[in-house]
Amino acid sequence: MTMDAEKHRPVGWLAGALVGALFLLLPAILPAAESVSPEVQFCLSCHSNKTLELVLKSGEKRSLYVDVDSFARSVHGDKLRCTDCHGDISTFPHPTRSFKNLREFTLAYYESCKGCHFDNYTKSLDGVHYSILSKGDLRAPLCVDCHGAHDVARPGVPKSRISRTCSRCHQEVYRQYAGSVHGKVLLQDGNVDAPVCADCHRSHDIVDPRTASFRLRTPELCARCHTDEKLMKKYGLSTKVLQTYLRDFHGMTSSFHKSEQIPRSAVTAVCTDCHGVHDILAVKDPRSAVMKVNLVKVCRKCHPNATENFPAAWLSHYEPSPDKAPLVYYVKLFYQIFIPFVILGLLLQILLHVWRVVVNR
Amino acid sequence: MARAKQGYVIRFSVRQRCEHLLIMVLFIMLALTGFPQKFYEMGWAQWLIPHLGGIDRVRWLHRLSGILFTLIALLHFGVVLSLAVMKRIELNMVPTKKDFRDAIITLRYYLGFSEEQARFERYDYRQKFEYWGLVLGGNLMIVTGFILYFPTFWTGFLPGEVIPAANVAHSSEGLLAFLVVIIWHIYNAHLNPDVFPFDASIFTGSISEERVEKEHPVEYARLIAKQKELPAEKEVGEKLTQKAKEGETTIKEEKAESSSRKDDSG
Repeated sequence: MTMDAEKHRPVGWLAGALVGALFLLLPAILPAAESVSPEVQFCLSCHSNKTLELVLKSGEKRSLYVDVDSFARSVHGDKLRCTDCHGDISTFPHPTRSFKNLREFTLAYYESCKGCHFDNYTKSLDGVHYSILSKGDLRAPLCVDCHGAHDVARPGVPKSRISRTCSRCHQEVYRQYAGSVHGKVLLQDGNVDAPVCADCHRSHDIVDPRTASFRLRTPELCARCHTDEKLMKKYGLSTKVLQTYLRDFHGMTSSFHKSEQIPRSAVTAVCTDCHGVHDILAVKDPRSAVMKVNLVKVCRKCHPNATENFPAAWLSHYEPSPDKAPLVYYVKLFYQIFIPFVILGLLLQILLHVWRVVVNR
Repeated sequence: MARAKQGYVIRFSVRQRCEHLLIMVLFIMLALTGFPQKFYEMGWAQWLIPHLGGIDRVRWLHRLSGILFTLIALLHFGVVLSLAVMKRIELNMVPTKKDFRDAIITLRYYLGFSEEQARFERYDYRQKFEYWGLVLGGNLMIVTGFILYFPTFWTGFLPGEVIPAANVAHSSEGLLAFLVVIIWHIYNAHLNPDVFPFDASIFTGSISEERVEKEHPVEYARLIAKQKELPAEKEVGEKLTQKAKEGETTIKEEKAESSSRKDDSG
């Protein structure tokens, strides 16, 4: 898999032999860099010097050292040459460029990735990080801030790496997540069924989670896993959580508000309003916000006058049955019998009347 | 008192006609804003709710209509009860044993078991069924509707489960009422061969003498009998004298007078 770029060039037998000989000799010359291309080797003749650095106008120092090992191990190690990203530096001595500060240095290479990763680059333009960047907040993360530069690795290997990446800026959220039912099983038990940040927030086109539209999309977001029969069976969880929510007042309201796409002052509870967001706990956890003893506190967030009886107005995702909510079950049953009884009775009388009128004629 | 056309008697007072009209409009409003909520997953509901201005507007309209419906119901019961206490009306909408007998006689007649037809009073058993259906169903809708409107208040002293139970009762009773109106009321007021295409008496307030004679023979006989006694009664004497000038219509007017005075509730 080495020297991909060379493979496409029409090379003669001799040239091929020479390249092959070089390839065989390389490990002896630079043992660490066995899998990088000769062009990279050329750049490394200077950039493997750990003391090589650039002093910026701000006085900050930017190390120009490239760790060949970590580059070789990176996903690009056997695919890219230095100039694929640093296209502005193809000659030696390098053209002079000046950067005010470190951030400007990073920003200068911001668009390097889009040449290959155009789809993700485009997606990121719709994301909240780009949005704050475009407003002039240079702290917004760029590709390299999450993915790394010379040491780019598969972002989801292992899965927990994604959440740890986000945690570099979102420390408080990560702390909550790590203690949540999702975070615990993933970070402690290594269970990859549990969601990481990007499963809910996406990775490149991250929507501002404070917007109404993101809020109203919550049920469908949680439902991606929580209506998956196979997955939920593993943990003994009900898949009817979405359906029972949508049939109730809150669910119906949120689904209409979502389709209406009108910003509203009226809010309605979505999954996270009761269960919590990053700090979500298993419903069996005594500390869970939706545990029966805690539920009234949750209700009071929106219904300040709620009494101890109030939470029972919500059937906790159960469908009415003689065990759960017998009153609701029997009222329902009564009408399931009563409505057809009355209507069929009336229809029968109408038909008999019509029949009699016809007979009389 | 409004005067009936020749050959007609006054059947419903202005109050009753207004009540019917308002209840009709509100019933349509409530059904229009209620069913899309009950069947909101259906395509037509998903279409209708945005066209009515969104779910919040639909709920607002539903609650407003419900409050007006409640006010009309309260007004109706208030007026009927006070008139009854003052002995100004007879409570002739109250079901009697005769109604059950009439129902059986009518069914036997429809089935062809007998040629005997029930002889009805001012309101026959079907009309009473509809009236009491509306009264009982309407009250249930009012009570459950207000439970759903103020859940935090009611759960202050009722168990929480009452709320979803009220929800099921409200939406099921609403469906039942709607089906009864669509099937039974529309048949009796429009499609019934006896009145087709439209029994307008609840709007015009009058009904033809022939229909009273045919459909409410007991009432008719009573009216004729009473009419013969009437001139002797002093209090109505003046009215009669005045009406006598209108010649032939006197008898009919008097019928109308007495019939509309005897109204209870309808």
